[in-house]
Amino acid sequence: MEFHGSDRYYLDPQLKAIVNMAIAMEKPLLITGEPGTGKTQLAFEIARSLDLDLEILRAKSTIKGEEACYVQDTVLRLNDARFGSAETGRDVQNFFDYVIWGPIGRAFRAPLRRVLLLDEIDKTETDVQDNLLDVLEDKQFVIREVNQVIQAQIAPIILITSNAKRELSDPFLRRCFCHHIAFPTPEDMRHIVGLHFPEIKPQLLEAGLEIFYELRDAGYEKPPATSELLNWFEALMRSNQEVKGGKHLPFPGVLLKRANDLLEHHGLSKKPKPYASRY
Amino acid sequence: MVQPEAVKEDVGLPFLDFFFQLRDEGLEIGLRDLLDFYQGLEKGLANDLNHLFLLGRLCFVRKVGNYDLYYRTFQRYFRGIHLPPVAEGDPRLLQTKAFAEWLSEAFARGELSQGDIWRLSRDELIRRFWETVKEQSEAHHGGNRWVGTGGSSSFGHSGFAQEGIRVNGPSRSRSALHVFGDRRYVDYDSSQGLTGENMRQVLGQLRHMKRTGLATMLDMQATIDKTARNGGEIELVLTPEQRDRLRLLVFFDNGGSSMLPFVAITQLLFSKIRSSFRDYSAYYFHNTLFKNVYSDAQRRAPVPLAKILQQPSDTRVFVVGDACMAPEELVSPYGAQAWEDSDPEPSRCWLERLKARFQHMVWLNPIPQDQWNRVHGSWTLREIASLVHMEVLSLGGIQRAVDYLSQPAG
Repeated sequence: MEFHGSDRYYLDPQLKAIVNMAIAMEKPLLITGEPGTGKTQLAFEIARSLDLDLEILRAKSTIKGEEACYVQDTVLRLNDARFGSAETGRDVQNFFDYVIWGPIGRAFRAPLRRVLLLDEIDKTETDVQDNLLDVLEDKQFVIREVNQVIQAQIAPIILITSNAKRELSDPFLRRCFCHHIAFPTPEDMRHIVGLHFPEIKPQLLEAGLEIFYELRDAGYEKPPATSELLNWFEALMRSNQEVKGGKHLPFPGVLLKRANDLLEHHGLSKKPKPYASRY
Repeated sequence: MVQPEAVKEDVGLPFLDFFFQLRDEGLEIGLRDLLDFYQGLEKGLANDLNHLFLLGRLCFVRKVGNYDLYYRTFQRYFRGIHLPPVAEGDPRLLQTKAFAEWLSEAFARGELSQGDIWRLSRDELIRRFWETVKEQSEAHHGGNRWVGTGGSSSFGHSGFAQEGIRVNGPSRSRSALHVFGDRRYVDYDSSQGLTGENMRQVLGQLRHMKRTGLATMLDMQATIDKTARNGGEIELVLTPEQRDRLRLLVFFDNGGSSMLPFVAITQLLFSKIRSSFRDYSAYYFHNTLFKNVYSDAQRRAPVPLAKILQQPSDTRVFVVGDACMAPEELVSPYGAQAWEDSDPEPSRCWLERLKARFQHMVWLNPIPQDQWNRVHGSWTLREIASLVHMEVLSLGGIQRAVDYLSQPAG
């Protein structure tokens, strides 16, 4: 089972080697990096390339971890107990008729291997992360209500992403293989844009990339990332615009998202200039 | 600790001394990581130097801040290349050992003469240094570890690696996978060997659980209770979820030379706060608080303290500073030492306002507690301590501060 890139996704050979190592070692792979470096996309690509089903847990700050495995539909069961389940086929006495499996539960119970993506894990509480890792490492969880162990039939390929807004705890990191995706170099970026827009004119590509990396270094609050660049190229190509440097940047709002950044770009900064008060 | 050489000879595991070198560099690597690494070798995952590099990094390095350290250690161990721990373009290069060694070697080889040193600009010397490093890094030969050079290579020491590691001959992925010659992670290198796991745990106890939001959670016990009272007619009882609603304000004293000895511990505290709390704001000040604090460490972006005072009163507040200053800074109008802080109201007024607004406020002082009465500036230290609950910035002190902040309001 070896993972390859696809024609829509530029796969850095290093990243490919790393993913294949994590699969071979059956380790959860934690991918960190700035937004727009294709962390989440990677899971979709793995699933597509290996022709496996994908289960996604989109982490929220309120998640407790258990619902990633299962939830019990108590209200439905109460309702059935009171009014009868009639032809629904549910049996009030049977607990499992009222279990809704979460992404981890589905991945563990599936007869075929699945890819399990835990997206933006850093949004969750620290203890939730540790609990989840216990589950993923043992490849089993317990259904508390009936004290039954659910054991994975076949270990899923686990991919975890984090925007690294908060640091993850050391015990958590110790159990994963970790890889930080550095922001694509201009060389990588040429590949990426080329995959998305095979018909792009070389002059436009070069001029656009130059401006893009200049803007990234200009110290904006939210520097533009890959997805902004791709949208921008699309806008340029659809409108047949030329790129010139300086103040006449077309569609600046596609690259710069924060109001302050845009104002600054137009030279209307609201932010106090460094040292302004001193002179 | 066991002597790495001795172990290597006895057991004959490949690359064991590499593992110990990484540990000596300060990477926290455990036995389990090592076993993972050997398992990877056994599975044949490292069929060339590039893959060995990646496998080692996956097994041994968790944080991007250590990637460059790993890269340097790997280059040194497997290829005999000594890299300086700085990025290209960083003038600190001139002080590194690697640069000094390169310079003396270049002399010895006759590539540079005494005259060149005076003739060439500093930038030119630096450029030549990096040229050499790049040539070495990209070349796939040399080094005393990988391609066997007699006894000094640990490769081939055991049968362990025979299947997995290929030394000679082409490898299908060699050309595609460039892991060397490109130090992409040097910017992330934190070079902080400090560990603060226990600090994190202590801070982790700081919670402020509140029932907030819509009543969406089914209160099972109450529902059963109500339903029973209702003669079996279902009566659902919903309640809002308990969530951690802790808001944290942190003020750091990063001005003045008196805080310099405590930079490391303050940074550690900051990084742990960053990792432990979602809802925090950090501000910086010089010596003590006046009408403005700063949202950046360079203290260029002022934020009015009056605005911060509008935050909810159950916000928890840490002030980190040595509280040592000239008395007039604390009690005199226009007393601020830094003139951009100049304020008709003495700092004391602002501290009192802060205290009146936020009951949960602790001043963490990095000066050891037994010196509080003796240090230069102890008068202001005691004044502030009489106003704000003060704890020493140590593990015990943070624990007490957390206990203090966890008390219910009132």
